[in-house]
Parts: sequence; structure tokens; C-alpha cells
Amino acid sequence: MKSYHDIVGDGGSRVLEQVAEQRTRISDGLAGVRHLVAVGSGKGGVGKSTLTLHLAGALRARGLRIAILDADFNGPSQARMAGVRGALFVPGAHKVALPRTSTGIGVFSMGSMIPESEALEFESAAHGESHTWRATKEFSLLAEILESFEWGALDLLMFDLPPGAERTVQYADFLGPRTSFLLVTIPSEVSRGVVARSVAALAKGPNRILGYVENMSGYYCRDCNGIKPLFVSPESSGLEIPCLGTVPFDPELARHCDSGIPLAELPDTPVGRALDRVAQQLLESLESTKPGKEPPR
Amino acid sequence: MKFLCIPCDSKMTLQTVAPPDRGSLSVVYACPECGYEIAMLTNSFETQMVQSLGVRIGPAVGASPDARVSDDDDAGRAATPAGRCPFPGMMPAMEGAREGAEHAASPSLVRWTSSAEARLANIPAFVRPMARTGIEQFARERGALEVDEKILDAARDFFGM
Repeated sequence: MKSYHDIVGDGGSRVLEQVAEQRTRISDGLAGVRHLVAVGSGKGGVGKSTLTLHLAGALRARGLRIAILDADFNGPSQARMAGVRGALFVPGAHKVALPRTSTGIGVFSMGSMIPESEALEFESAAHGESHTWRATKEFSLLAEILESFEWGALDLLMFDLPPGAERTVQYADFLGPRTSFLLVTIPSEVSRGVVARSVAALAKGPNRILGYVENMSGYYCRDCNGIKPLFVSPESSGLEIPCLGTVPFDPELARHCDSGIPLAELPDTPVGRALDRVAQQLLESLESTKPGKEPPR
Repeated sequence: MKFLCIPCDSKMTLQTVAPPDRGSLSVVYACPECGYEIAMLTNSFETQMVQSLGVRIGPAVGASPDARVSDDDDAGRAATPAGRCPFPGMMPAMEGAREGAEHAASPSLVRWTSSAEARLANIPAFVRPMARTGIEQFARERGALEVDEKILDAARDFFGM
């Protein structure tokens, strides 16, 4: 009797081929993007989305073509912060045009489509057992978004990742070795510990880790125009990856993020200058000759 | 998954896939040698796992003259932009998500040319209703009663990258 491997082809649906063909379509659609950068952490609430948006803004101000894909489907925040809630998705000749912010940053976020009063709910044949298939469904949705939107010629496509060290690695697996990772922490031992886990997990794969940014590194006091401490923690993060910079917390910037209106005076503030320095470091890191890391042994 | 006809030692070929019935798929295979048919009946977990992949379950187009997928194929859709919406239950909320958008249930007085409809049909199902409503509003605001490719291109220039 023949075994599985004696029989050529699959059961008839070409499932593997369909997945491979979709991967090719995604790869072709991203061919014009110079750099793919996933902004992750592992830890939630450290400001990944805020940092992603404002780094994109700093890079856009340098004339670069930038887009953000808000990959946090369950807690999308880019639509609100970038001011593209209710954005219009326009069918192009073959794909969907990517909505853009007032400053010209392309943004895809599920928050543009789903009101904040609703949670993303997939259709399911297996009611009550979403833990068995939900992640597969989310990556299938991410694949459909990647293959369906016009990414065009970009200098940088940033993925705003959801929290979770294991999710960070899943995205690395899905996005492939072309995607570099920028990790975000805050100056707390708890956050640094979780980010260290993400570093350890990512280090086992082929993706390049560009470094980390320490967010909420003090807060900007507008009254005294100075930076004051927020967390009491050791100076050294203990993370064995490059630090691309520190960014203080600015309550005024947070207020503007909530309203989706860019903070006009941001470039003239210490926070804006810190973001600009991180953006510069990020660019230098991306443009450095080191294309990737050695494959794991 | 592959199926083997033991008496013929021959690979069985996929014949039909019926739409899910209470979470179960009925997938019929036949032996090309002796014609013996079997049906694979999936449970809801198996159905869901396959649907989650976003692939189309059914015989390859042109694979066999007798092979077919139900016209009401809901077994799993091709991973193409025109595939099935993964969250149809959310459509009403999504249609109302555009700020200032008119209620989707309102009868539209705006016509679509066939080429504009073709472009709309080519985008993912989950953005299609919002796109239709928004573009019709965009057209009306410009005094147009028809959405054609010129209107789509103008909307693309106005809103897109």
C-alpha cells in the first residue's frame, strides 16, 4: 500500500500552493519597500504605537516615504492617533490605495474600520474555542492586508506590533528575515525583563534586531522646561542590544495623540529632539552595511 | 490530507465540497480507478482551522470535468483580495465607522459603471462596504451621480498615498 509520501500532490485543494502563492504576491507587493521595521516590545503599554507614529513623523519630515501597518488588530490605536479614523479606502486599478495622514504618512489600521465600541470578532464555526484558531485567523488577515494594499515605493514600512513576547516572534516568523526589529521598553525592571525575553526569543531566528528605545525616560515638564524622573531604576537596562535613544514622556503629546492632531511645536521640544535623534539612529542602523545576522547555529 | 483507495492502491481525487452545515464540511473523494466514493465530514474545529488559513478548499479549477465546488461555496475562500469577509458579523458596525458617513441602509442614488464596480469587486470584502459608501458620498459631494474610474482616481488622489 502506498504511503503519504508516495502520493504526489495534496488532497486536491492545493492548500500549500495557495499559501505559497499568497506569500509570493505579498513579496511582490513589498518589493518597492526599502526597509521593513517591526516595532515591538513584548510588554504592553510602553508606548510602541506612539513611538511608531512619531518616529514615522520624524522620518517623514526628512522627506522619506513612510507607511505604518497597525498589526495590533485587537487593540488598534494608529487610526485615532494618526487622525485616520473613518479613512476612505479607495479601490485602485488592482489594489486598495493606502489612506494617508495630513503629513503624508500612509496608515492602515483596523481602527479606521471598526468603532472603538466594538471588538474584532471573526466568524467562527467552532464557537467558544477561539484559542485554537484565532492566531491563524489574524495572520491570515494580515496576509490579506499585505497583498491587497498598494505599498508602492516606500523608504520604510513600520509594523506596529501587539504586545506579547511570543507574538513578537510569531510576527518575525510571518514577516520573514527582511524585517528588522526595533524594541521598546520603559525604564522599569519589569518592562526590561519582558523585553529581554523578546530579545532572547528573536535571537533564535534570522531577523535583525536594530536595538531598543527607552520610552518614558523621565517626563517633560513644560513649567520648568526640564526632564524630571518617572521611574526609579538602574541606569543600565541590561539589554544586550544597542540603545537607539531615550524619549521622555510629554503629557501634551499624549493629549494630542488622543485627539489625532499632530503637535505642531513637537520638533522644538526636548521630546521632539529626542525622537529626531532616535529617527537618525534608526536610519543609520538601517543603512549600515550589516544586512542581517548570522543564521542561528 | 490525502486519501488512498486501498484495493486500487490509487490516490482518490477530490470531487465536491459542500458548504458548512452547522460547522461541518462534507468533502467527497472518488477513486479514479474503481469509482468508489467516500465523504470526509469535518467537525467544527477542523472546519475552523481550515477556514482560518484563508485558503480555498475545493478541486483546482480544471482539475477534473466532474470536480466541482458548491456554488454557495463557504468552505474556505481563495486567499485573493476578492475573498470572503472574515468578520461578516461586524459589517453593520464597520459601515457606520466613517465619520460623517451616511447610513449604509439609505438607498443610494449613485450609479456605478461596470469598470468601477470591477475595481470595487477586486478589493478585500472587509473594506468593500465602507469603500462603496464613502466613494458614493465623495461623488455626491462633487455633484456626480455616477461613480466611474475618474471618480475613483480623484478619490484615490484625495485620500490615498
